[in-house]
Amino acid sequence: MKLDIQAYIASGVIESYVLGLATEQEVAELEQLRKQYPEINQAMSEFEASLEAQIMANAKLPPAAIKQQLLDRLQDDFNYVPVTATQQQAATSAKVVTLLWNKYAVAAMVILIVASAGLNIYFFNKVEQLQNKYLSLVSEKNSLEAGLNIYKTKALDIYNSMQLMSDPNMQKVSMPGVKGKEDNLATVFWDKQSKEVYLLPNRLPQAPENKQYQLWALVNGKPIDAGLLGADCNGLCKLKTIPDAQAFAITLENKGGSPAPHLDQLYVFGKISG
Amino acid sequence: MQEEKKYSEPELVMLLKQRHEVAFSYLYDNYSGALYSIVQNIVGDTELANDVLQEVFVKIWKQIAQYDDGKGRLFTWMLNIARNAAIDMVRSKGFQNSQQNRELQESVYEQAGTTSIAVEQIGLRKVVHKLKSEQKQLVELAYFEGYTQDEISKMLDIPLGTVKTRLRTALIQLRQMLKQY
Repeated sequence: MKLDIQAYIASGVIESYVLGLATEQEVAELEQLRKQYPEINQAMSEFEASLEAQIMANAKLPPAAIKQQLLDRLQDDFNYVPVTATQQQAATSAKVVTLLWNKYAVAAMVILIVASAGLNIYFFNKVEQLQNKYLSLVSEKNSLEAGLNIYKTKALDIYNSMQLMSDPNMQKVSMPGVKGKEDNLATVFWDKQSKEVYLLPNRLPQAPENKQYQLWALVNGKPIDAGLLGADCNGLCKLKTIPDAQAFAITLENKGGSPAPHLDQLYVFGKISG
Repeated sequence: MQEEKKYSEPELVMLLKQRHEVAFSYLYDNYSGALYSIVQNIVGDTELANDVLQEVFVKIWKQIAQYDDGKGRLFTWMLNIARNAAIDMVRSKGFQNSQQNRELQESVYEQAGTTSIAVEQIGLRKVVHKLKSEQKQLVELAYFEGYTQDEISKMLDIPLGTVKTRLRTALIQLRQMLKQY
């Protein structure tokens, strides 16, 4: 359907709309048509403009007090309140004096902030580096200390062993490896006075998990349990006291030892000389 | 005084929406006279017109966010707010009671457009006053008194279609008369 624009414009509906006299339907229609037809839009703008011009030209000033009442009433509603003339003047003269100073201050502040930020990054990295170094030094120190303790203990063991070995009462019984185990060697130190027995496992293979070396004293041809070699034995270890013996031997037994030696598991054997 | 500053309509609307006191002050200085005249056209030259004008500016200030320049000029929008506020005032009980001359109300249909000479001689009503009496009556009732066409049809005992046509013709006539401004 083609709209007769001129007839529409001449119908008075535009004026009704502008003056707020149009029906809802007319309003909706005009708002639509206005966008479509520039002529209608134009006619409306012209009527609005001439209406405004006439009313403005015939304006009647209201009492002056009304404006102040309104400003007071809406005071809390304003987001932007103009500064008064005196405030403005004071602010302006103060501004001139401080403006230059402000500029330098701002520049200096910017430089300081940038420099400080740079230093912060530098020191942060530095601290991090030092912290890492420190941590690695601490752990190095700890492992050195632990190593040192091991040596200390070992040295003490050796010292004690030496003391025992050099005791004039001590009889040394060398036990070489039996046939097939010639590489092995162990030594018994037997205190002739106290009858205490010390064993030095010179060269014995590492005992399997569930096995243990057991020392036997041969008394008149009979093997007597002389004690078990503990896994923690490093150096000279004290075993059982043996009052009398002609020879010593070591067998590999089940953990906890056996009442009688398994001779097929004989490793070393040594007779007491003299 | 502060006449140096001029705002374009979009600028003014933007500043009002941002709640600038200067913008409100400018709006008032610029438009209060025009809106006061339309309020007086409707309410009459009374103390009440001052109250209505205040309400009009408060409404404009509070509702500025709803103003849509796609639907018309700022002035048109404000004019409608002023007209509606004034008509509401006239219809309120308080106003009715303040009108001592009740008989005037009875003969309002015949007397429409002939109330106070002073009020007829200001603002838009000055132009409307120049219309033919038949047209003048319709514009008075519809525009200045806020009656619907249906109400007018019943009041004057004229078919609704005729009211519509005559009012439209009157408005076209009004447009011709306003063109010289």
